[in-house]
Amino acid sequence: MRFTGVGGQGVLLAGEIFAAAKIKMGGYGVKTATYTSQVRGGPTVVDIQLDDKEIWYPYAIDGQIDFMLSVADKSYQLFKNGVAEGGIIVIDPNLVYPTEEDRKKWKIVEIPIITIAKEEVGNVITQSVVALAIANTFMNAIPEDVLIETMLSKVPKKVHEANLKAYELGKKYALEAMEKMGIEPRKND
Amino acid sequence: MAREVISSGNDLAAKAAVDAGCMFFGGYPITPSSEVMHTISDLLPKVGGASIQMEDEIAGVCAAIGASMSGVRSMTATSGPGISLKAENLGLAQMAEVPLVVVNVMRGGPSTGLPTRVSQGDVAQAKNPSHGDYKSITVCAGNLEECYTETVRAFNLADRFMQPVIVLLDETIGHMHGKAVLPDVEEVKAGIKLRKTFDGPPEEYKPYGVAQDEPAVLNPMFKGYRYHFTGLHHDAMGFPTEEIETCRKLIDRLFQKVDAHRDELESNEEFMLDDADILLIGYGSASLAIKEAIVRLRDEGIKAGLFRPITLWPSPEERMYELGQKFDKVLSVELNQGQYLEEIQRAMGRKDIQKLTKTNGRPFSPQDIIDKVKEVF
Repeated sequence: MRFTGVGGQGVLLAGEIFAAAKIKMGGYGVKTATYTSQVRGGPTVVDIQLDDKEIWYPYAIDGQIDFMLSVADKSYQLFKNGVAEGGIIVIDPNLVYPTEEDRKKWKIVEIPIITIAKEEVGNVITQSVVALAIANTFMNAIPEDVLIETMLSKVPKKVHEANLKAYELGKKYALEAMEKMGIEPRKND
Repeated sequence: MAREVISSGNDLAAKAAVDAGCMFFGGYPITPSSEVMHTISDLLPKVGGASIQMEDEIAGVCAAIGASMSGVRSMTATSGPGISLKAENLGLAQMAEVPLVVVNVMRGGPSTGLPTRVSQGDVAQAKNPSHGDYKSITVCAGNLEECYTETVRAFNLADRFMQPVIVLLDETIGHMHGKAVLPDVEEVKAGIKLRKTFDGPPEEYKPYGVAQDEPAVLNPMFKGYRYHFTGLHHDAMGFPTEEIETCRKLIDRLFQKVDAHRDELESNEEFMLDDADILLIGYGSASLAIKEAIVRLRDEGIKAGLFRPITLWPSPEERMYELGQKFDKVLSVELNQGQYLEEIQRAMGRKDIQKLTKTNGRPFSPQDIIDKVKEVF
């Protein structure tokens, strides 16, 4: 899985939560972040590797990525080619502008992640939990209770409620989009 | 007993330092090593230690050297141009024989280079960071666990050999975040071997008057044992001298104290090497891509294996020589233009070693290595 955005959007946290939840279940999880020397606004990519076996190489391998989520156009353009043909790319349609060709190559799913966080949850910082919920709904990577419990352990108590709401909304939007596009949750062994 | 933690390489280096009894950190934050300082600044006050952000890199290493002279375990951390700035004073610590742990989280260079990106470009510099003649000790972590265990080992080696020990991480290892299985704190504490001290009559104390293959015995300053501290060539009491034989023996001893005890330093990993036809050599984060590549190559029937030096300096020259005799096909893989390759060639006595290098700030992918193996062998 790969999450991309720009520096300052807080995409790192979702990766840490995924890795921690997988490890809690006895598996292996690694998160790496690649960013530029631009503190705010530089393209950022977070790779998440989850496996039942030990993971050596910590980066997602270009061409083999089956899920990407992107909330910034410059990062989307830079990293889209790492996604395998037919793979799922969730984008915020207000911030990312895929071409018609892109839409043929990948399953591009539009969910207004930032707007959901800002307007429906009321706290833009919760976008990373909205993204977490979307990714897990598509990828079926971690049992929901474990993921939510891990998420709550990583955020301050006073924002637990907002983040729970963010999770529910992310899941709701993901399920709606999946139904609309005929995408089934991924089946894992 | 072991414990499982979820952490990053930089955080693990900081935690390891505190568990190993480090009581002082002097430094100046710089990407990609900053988290070492952030984390240790949080941890040290809780155990009665101190961390100071100094006015620059040079002051950071100097403060750490000063703390070490007072008898406590001390550390600094840096990256990129920071290690260049610290270099002169690493020479002072070599010459005056002050134990110190220096964590260098490598990024692209030279100069300010590629601040947020990965490189292994400081490997040659780690061998001789400062001017002058001395023997560096450098260890290199190749996974999250080793960010912890090698930092612990570095503290014990610094006290054993009375000199700086460099712990090389790189941006990938320093920032990757995942599961690490660590030894228990009690086990780490039980393994602490502090520097020797002299407890005889103060008038008989000669800190630098030691056997030719042994390090100086520096008692903590201000505790009743007097000696002089200098970067100049010095006599048994530490006072400057230009006496011919004393000068010769001093530098000779800086080499011998390490060379005569290489067995205490050597540490390597051999991965799927027993039945291999192709030998890959790499260290640090490059070895993560190499391991993945080896597994994939073996799926295709190509038997490759990895030799990974963990102590880079002094190099495992005897083992490399043996491997050079055994393997016809050897490929060196490093995120620089071949800095360790020269050492491998020297140790093996061979020039026909293939190389895969990268210096654009990007990590190797396993495919890079698979392609190179298929191309050259």
